[in-house]
Amino acid sequence: MRGPIHTWLALALALILAVVVGACAGHDWATPADLWRAAAGDQALRSRLLVDWRIPRVLAAALVGALLGLGGVVFQGVFRNPLAEPYLLGSAGGAALGATVALLVPLAMPQSILLPLLAFAGAWGATVLVIGISRVSGAVDAAGMLLAGVAVAAILGALRSFLMLALSDETVSLQIVLSWVLGGVQTPTWPVLGLLALISAGCLGLTLLLAGRLDVLGLGETMAVAFGLNVTRFIAVAVLAGSVVVAAAVAFGGLVAFVGLAAPHIARWMVGPLHRPLLPATALVGAIIVTLADAIARAALPPAEIPLGLVTAVAGGPFFIMLLARRLRT
Amino acid sequence: MTRLAADNLVVRRGGATLLDDLSLSLGTTGSVAIIGPNGAGKSTLLKVLAGIEKPSAGTVRVGDHDLASLSSTSRARTIGFLPQYFDPHWDLTVQELVRLGAERSDHLTVDAVDKVISTFELGGMDRRRWSTLSGGERARVLLAAVLVVDPPVLLADEPAASLDIRHRLDVIETLTRRGNDRLSVVVVHDLDLAFRFFERVIVMDRGRIVIDAPADSLIEDRRLDAVFKVRFERLKTPDGPLLRAMRDQP
Repeated sequence: MRGPIHTWLALALALILAVVVGACAGHDWATPADLWRAAAGDQALRSRLLVDWRIPRVLAAALVGALLGLGGVVFQGVFRNPLAEPYLLGSAGGAALGATVALLVPLAMPQSILLPLLAFAGAWGATVLVIGISRVSGAVDAAGMLLAGVAVAAILGALRSFLMLALSDETVSLQIVLSWVLGGVQTPTWPVLGLLALISAGCLGLTLLLAGRLDVLGLGETMAVAFGLNVTRFIAVAVLAGSVVVAAAVAFGGLVAFVGLAAPHIARWMVGPLHRPLLPATALVGAIIVTLADAIARAALPPAEIPLGLVTAVAGGPFFIMLLARRLRT
Repeated sequence: MTRLAADNLVVRRGGATLLDDLSLSLGTTGSVAIIGPNGAGKSTLLKVLAGIEKPSAGTVRVGDHDLASLSSTSRARTIGFLPQYFDPHWDLTVQELVRLGAERSDHLTVDAVDKVISTFELGGMDRRRWSTLSGGERARVLLAAVLVVDPPVLLADEPAASLDIRHRLDVIETLTRRGNDRLSVVVVHDLDLAFRFFERVIVMDRGRIVIDAPADSLIEDRRLDAVFKVRFERLKTPDGPLLRAMRDQP
């Protein structure tokens, strides 16, 4: 890991701070002292609620943020475009369609397996579709791919809405599907949280394996080939890996917009564009963003909870517009 | 001994024939300039020789091997390629770019990176980012990144075309000097530079090789005028003739 050591310390400290703030926030605010008591094994009801509900939720939010960040780095690296984002390019939409099918269509498989599987298939299919459309139409440049992604995302969104209208009845709750679409971290049990942590660590390892080749691809296709990269095969592999990451993020956090866009940018300002330091830095930044956004989602309008995806969209939309304006100027 | 050879290369793209049954043999050492009017197929030939584009027909041989059968990593170590335009998508530092070039070879030490950085006088700027470099500095950085693994073959697509004259001379001299003990093939637009610095000059037109000869004998060849569609005045100078292009009056 390169980059100055104080940058990493600052990121780690900021994440710890964000987790503490997140654990305190809620419609019933806790103090850090309450957290300390609960963590120490206090059996009072308030402490038990903190340990069983709020702390796992906050940690899950951090992990989902890390996954969204990693997905963003991989997609920006593959598309060689800092405006690429899983949410904009349709792969998150594909994952959400897969998840919707898993939730609404009665299939002969337990939902806990079906949902991540279909989410992955959706994310991968949508991304391959976007790359295919932009290749066939000859618009392999960034703008062409973004437009293809927007179109695919719109179609997938319409399909998902149709499925929700056609298939939901009294037995299947629309509420669950809606909470996916709008983005929101479910409160996991501690074993599920452990599983999520394992998946996140696996995704970090998986994307780190791509880091050196993502750097080479960033030199442009001609130089990447000249430097010995099999570009076509690598892009296929990287898209597959990126889809795994996006599917994991969507399976646990629903459709959360703009984190995959903003987190890599902020991390790039801090550690530079080389992917080996960028990936872990982006995971940390993504974790901080989603932890704080989730805290806002839970605490802003008590007792109601605002969907997480709305919070990140309201904050991330202007960020995207700013980046777009800056790019169009240059 | 042959280092790089092309046999009956054909490249067709979208109905146009860019290379038309072209054959070529290049030795293990030497500096070779490829010249020709726009659209003659110079860049295409270079990319096919480098294994970056696949020919529609024909083969490229490297030593005793078919280029297509070489793994992409050993190809990248054997053939260095300098593109006409290079603009990395991420704003890397000089050192990071050179290191990416060095990662083509698994047995390169950190010394090799340091050495090439001092050879190309990049020592004071190894932490600067690409966006802050001038054109001449960028050319030196790219050369350093490509040459850090010291490939036996170097194919360069006029990497100095947009530089001022002093930097252009620097780059051309670096490329031709490699021809003393390596193979160095360069697409050159400036005919003066091609004839002054290179041993062998290949003239291309419409996807074919029209003339392939030592530089000093080729400069008198009247076919040059026909290929470039101008009338060349051959001005006598102490260093040999200098070409001045005049509009060809009917």
